[in-house]
Amino acid sequence: MDPCEIEFIGEKSQIGIVPNFNFDPIHLISGSVGPFRAGLPVHIPLWLAVHLRRQRKCRIVPPQWMDVDTLEEIKEEEKRSKFFTKMPSDNYMVEAQLIFGCAAEDIPRCDEIRTIIKDIFDIRESKLRTSVDAFIKGEGTYAKLDNLTLLEMHAIRPILPHALDHISRYQRVASATQRDMSSLGLNTSNLSSSYHSQSRI
Amino acid sequence: MEQNVREEDLELSDDEELITAQKVLENLENAWLNEKFAPELLPQQTEMLELMLGQVAHMEENIKELDKNDFRSIAHRMELERIRYIIASYLRCRLEKIETFTKLILQEEESRADEEKRMSVEETKFATEYHENMENYFKTVALQYMPTLQRSDADQRIVRPNMMSHVFVKAKETVPAVVVGVEDEEVDLVAGSQHIIPYQLISDLVLKGSVQLI
Amino acid sequence: MFGDKAFELVKELQRTSETLPPFDDDGVRQVLEEIKAIFEENCQQAAAYSHSGDRTLWPLLSFRHAAIQRNKRCLLAYLYQRLQRIKAIRWEFGPIVPNDIKNSFCEPETQWFNSYSKSLATYMRSIGDGQGIDLTGDLKPPKSLFVEVRCLEDYGKFELEDGEVILLKKNSQHYLPRSQVESLIRLGILQHIS
Repeated sequence: MDPCEIEFIGEKSQIGIVPNFNFDPIHLISGSVGPFRAGLPVHIPLWLAVHLRRQRKCRIVPPQWMDVDTLEEIKEEEKRSKFFTKMPSDNYMVEAQLIFGCAAEDIPRCDEIRTIIKDIFDIRESKLRTSVDAFIKGEGTYAKLDNLTLLEMHAIRPILPHALDHISRYQRVASATQRDMSSLGLNTSNLSSSYHSQSRI
Repeated sequence: MEQNVREEDLELSDDEELITAQKVLENLENAWLNEKFAPELLPQQTEMLELMLGQVAHMEENIKELDKNDFRSIAHRMELERIRYIIASYLRCRLEKIETFTKLILQEEESRADEEKRMSVEETKFATEYHENMENYFKTVALQYMPTLQRSDADQRIVRPNMMSHVFVKAKETVPAVVVGVEDEEVDLVAGSQHIIPYQLISDLVLKGSVQLI
Repeated sequence: MFGDKAFELVKELQRTSETLPPFDDDGVRQVLEEIKAIFEENCQQAAAYSHSGDRTLWPLLSFRHAAIQRNKRCLLAYLYQRLQRIKAIRWEFGPIVPNDIKNSFCEPETQWFNSYSKSLATYMRSIGDGQGIDLTGDLKPPKSLFVEVRCLEDYGKFELEDGEVILLKKNSQHYLPRSQVESLIRLGILQHIS
């Protein structure tokens, strides 16, 4: 999946804006947005919010989780836990990138927040790389991936499924070989018997 | 004046059930993702497609009257571009599979009952023409010059998708006792959980809608 | 060595930086002739083998059979790969192919292209009960009807369709409707920032 498609999907997330204009509700196919009343917050899809912000017709309301203390807690949890913590948004990276790209001034302590989010992402990526490594070496073919976001899955998408396909293929061949050899009455005890392991990445 | 499509529920042809345009779009998006990641050709979501195309046409008519710089016009046009992208990407993805696995898909389709058919009438026509075009070409350029014994192995040339390739899935509902490995170990897929697993093992769940490919 | 020419066909195609090199008529013919020649030799020996039951002939027969298969496989790969590229040309250029590329098609390829082109067009037109969609467009997710631009020189006042007037000063940045500023971008007055 293309990075631009991941962004495309993430852009559907709802976000709060404060418009500086008035407008009646618009009945989009994906749901109604508005009414827009100058000075009053309203929730709209991110793709529309970015457009309005670029036109300087609104300011962005940072999502609740985009706050230094909340993010610090998440970062600590991420460091502490062997597993992936549930992120406050399934598209946290896409949202962060788009909001920082057009509305950095709307986010209090923006630079700090940017740094913490990057730190969290780095910790998760590094955990992912270690897990994938161990997973492939353990010859697993199945794993649970709870709390991984689309962007993070995308980072391993080319490698992991492909590597697993190869492992499966080798396992099937090994299985078949073992069967053939036993049917010929040959000793199979020194063939690997660790075919699989369930793991949680 | 903008016609009110918000409350207008669309009718599904078979049942008397009503469905909102919003839900149709959601279904189409899910179908798009499933098609992208599944190695095999999935059943076309023809009904959803036609409903959405209808909505798109309807909306385009509505906004024709509006000034291009009107915020409403801009918002709608932006959304319509997004929807058109999903539809185009969905159909392109299907065409790619049809062009890669033509012979296999045509064979499997023939053995399916009408309600189980995966290609639309138009796709079937395209697939048939594509296959014929290919066969004629190879015959003309090479096969007719080859010794008889070497020609008749069209079956050898059938391309199949790798059904055991790994996919990322998200469980939409809890599914107990799913086989996840070559040695038949079972796992319960809890609603909302995510996994990586060989496609073949959950292909029926994809068709049923119990899991979503991501 | 058997199969050399066939392999060369495939290699050449992979190596070339051209979208589509001219069809290698000679190369293809050579491979077909080689296949025929090997086959005829095998036929003679196969007859001898079934007569005499001489098993020492078997490896040679197998070898020739393998050589034929290899030739066939390389040849079909060459032809198939070219068709893939021709298909891509249809998706990129539409039904009318630029002359310099058209010259690389052999006659059967031209016919294949025309059939494919027609079939694709018919399919696209038929989508949604005759409504039709151009699947060769919309290749990337849409970004916006507006574009972010930087002004490269002191242009002065620019009036948008809705009456709004913008001051285009050197280095100023603006977010403007794509269709209205395309000409300024083309003239080099505005620069599109992605």
